[in-house]
Amino acid sequence: MVINRNTKIATLLKHHPDALVAIVSIDNKFAKLRNPLLRKLMAGRTSIAMASKIAGCSIEDFFVKLRPLGFILAGTAETEEINNKVMEQNEFIRNVKPESIIDLDVRPVLAGGTDPFHIIMDSVNNLKYGQVLRIINTFAPMPLVSVLGKKGFESYIDQVELQLVHAYFYKKQDAAVDIKVGVKDVANMWSDIADKYKGNLIELDVRNLEMPQPMHKILEALEQLPDGKALFVQHKRIPVFLLPELAERKFEYRLNEKAEGDVEIIIFRP
Amino acid sequence: MFAGVINNQPMQNTTYKVVLPFYTYAALSLFAACFLLLISTGSFTGHYFNPHILAITHMMALGWGTMIILGAGYQLIPVLIEKSLYSIKLANWSFFLAATGIPLLAYGFYNFDMGWPAKWGGRLVFISVSLFVINLAKSIQKSKNRNVHAWFMLAASVWLFVTALYGLVLVYNFTFPIYKRNHIELIPLHAHTGVIGWFLLLVIGVGSKLIPMFMISKYTNSKQLWLIFLLINTALVLFISLYIFKAANAIFFFPVVMLLTSLIVFAQYCYKSYKQRIRKQVDEQMKLSLLSLLMMLLPVAVIFFLIGLFVSGKEDMRIVLLYGFVIFFGWITAIIFGMTFKTLPFIVWNKVYGKIAGLGKTPGPKDLYSERLFAAMSVSYLAGFVIFIAGILTIEKVVLTIGSSLLLLSALLYCVNAGKLIFHKAF
Repeated sequence: MVINRNTKIATLLKHHPDALVAIVSIDNKFAKLRNPLLRKLMAGRTSIAMASKIAGCSIEDFFVKLRPLGFILAGTAETEEINNKVMEQNEFIRNVKPESIIDLDVRPVLAGGTDPFHIIMDSVNNLKYGQVLRIINTFAPMPLVSVLGKKGFESYIDQVELQLVHAYFYKKQDAAVDIKVGVKDVANMWSDIADKYKGNLIELDVRNLEMPQPMHKILEALEQLPDGKALFVQHKRIPVFLLPELAERKFEYRLNEKAEGDVEIIIFRP
Repeated sequence: MFAGVINNQPMQNTTYKVVLPFYTYAALSLFAACFLLLISTGSFTGHYFNPHILAITHMMALGWGTMIILGAGYQLIPVLIEKSLYSIKLANWSFFLAATGIPLLAYGFYNFDMGWPAKWGGRLVFISVSLFVINLAKSIQKSKNRNVHAWFMLAASVWLFVTALYGLVLVYNFTFPIYKRNHIELIPLHAHTGVIGWFLLLVIGVGSKLIPMFMISKYTNSKQLWLIFLLINTALVLFISLYIFKAANAIFFFPVVMLLTSLIVFAQYCYKSYKQRIRKQVDEQMKLSLLSLLMMLLPVAVIFFLIGLFVSGKEDMRIVLLYGFVIFFGWITAIIFGMTFKTLPFIVWNKVYGKIAGLGKTPGPKDLYSERLFAAMSVSYLAGFVIFIAGILTIEKVVLTIGSSLLLLSALLYCVNAGKLIFHKAF
């Protein structure tokens, strides 16, 4: 498989069963990839370049470790200096007043096993002009840098000590005011819905059925769905043709793509 | 710890990166073909063997019909056989080769230059088609699931292979005469392997799976489908044999009757599936697709009439033109118009929202394109189609111009709506 600095960690893990061990051997910080939740959270959003930033190692270290597993480096690796430079050029951090810094410590959230993404987005949305959000974490949240970067945020990563990182986010004046990340209601994430219906889920596994059987089974199950309960479906793909049917029947859904070919869906009445 | 995820190779959807270029290319081809139709209306007052008509026919058959079917095919193969596509790389190559070959071929026909442009065009299209056949056959071989739909697709792709190969031979026949028979006499074989072998088998094979799926009907009847499969293939082989051995005109009614029977059985299949549907509301896209199935009867009616004329020793070039027009601008275009907006929104939705649909509420696949543009396109298309037919029959250039203008407008609306989808972004 051909990889480059932008290849996602999830792609590596999916491609070769030994990639995880190889990556952990680069830096112990990557041991958190062994945790399924953190892996799901980070691996898909983190590229090799971001990961090397998190661990403070070089991209080369990755290529050296991954080469024996059959991963080939494509083209020339642009110098990773680019990222560094962007960080250092951000002058806002020198001019910011201490009182305009809003702190958000996500370490307890992560320790509790939840994805802090929506909490962070809430804080970002509540950020007033001139304020700076400081996220306190054990590792540099590089995916967030790229997501918010696209939304017109400048960022600065400060590795305070080995297990302590301060990530600063500052909205540029010309940035879009509305941060939506393409979804209407960030607070109603998969994990929230899953929590809400805990103990009230009716399970349905359609992974072994041929098309269009899964759709029929799901619609049948929904017809008999008691109030207050939600349908938990295990599917081998995202059932795109089901989605308009759900909308028509006034159901909402959340998807959780655990892996290619393994999708979980919660269908509920809003 | 995650061995289960890594080792058990799951069925994967074909990535949108493979599929979307085909849709984009097809939309542009339709527009180009309709534009050529508008500026070549004069050609529709004479013999069908005319450089402009040959160019338009090939842009419609290859650039529009075949390209979109290849793209949708790569997407549908995993759905039909419950296994991933054999090779993404081959699929991409089939796109690049056909995308380069089709304009060369069309250019060659338009200027009636059977030198290198037409030859290279034909070669590239032939290689592209071969890659599709290999990819499909290998995918089916990998799968344990060999249902009637997969056989339809495989047989159709073999006919496509035959059509492309024979088409290439015909291009060579201009410069190195291979056949003793008059070139024009050879065309019906090429045209019918393409239209009946490739388009009809494929549309029925795929349609018989998708139509019940889209209407949420539990109806299946593989016996009926096998009967259709046998009827169409036998009719086509019979037609080819009769043609090669120069049978009497009246005998050609036999294969046509077999074909008509297969269409009636298919209509019955669709009707039963419609009757047993769970979703009571049939949307506009589905209506146009079902209408296109009725439009299949139009060429059959025309060919009956045509054989009747031949039997009575008459010839009417208008009827031959009409025959080709109702196939490519009628049935095939109508079904693609309808089916594009039943498939493309879902592919795009998966691309844009598939990964973030766990985060919150997202727009549905049907919200990604404009229903109003679709309605305007349908009206303009149906009007243009009927008016152009009137133009062919009356040999009136003004009527042909009005008809083709409306068809061009519908192509434009199609491109805008498909473009809305293809370039849709979440933010």
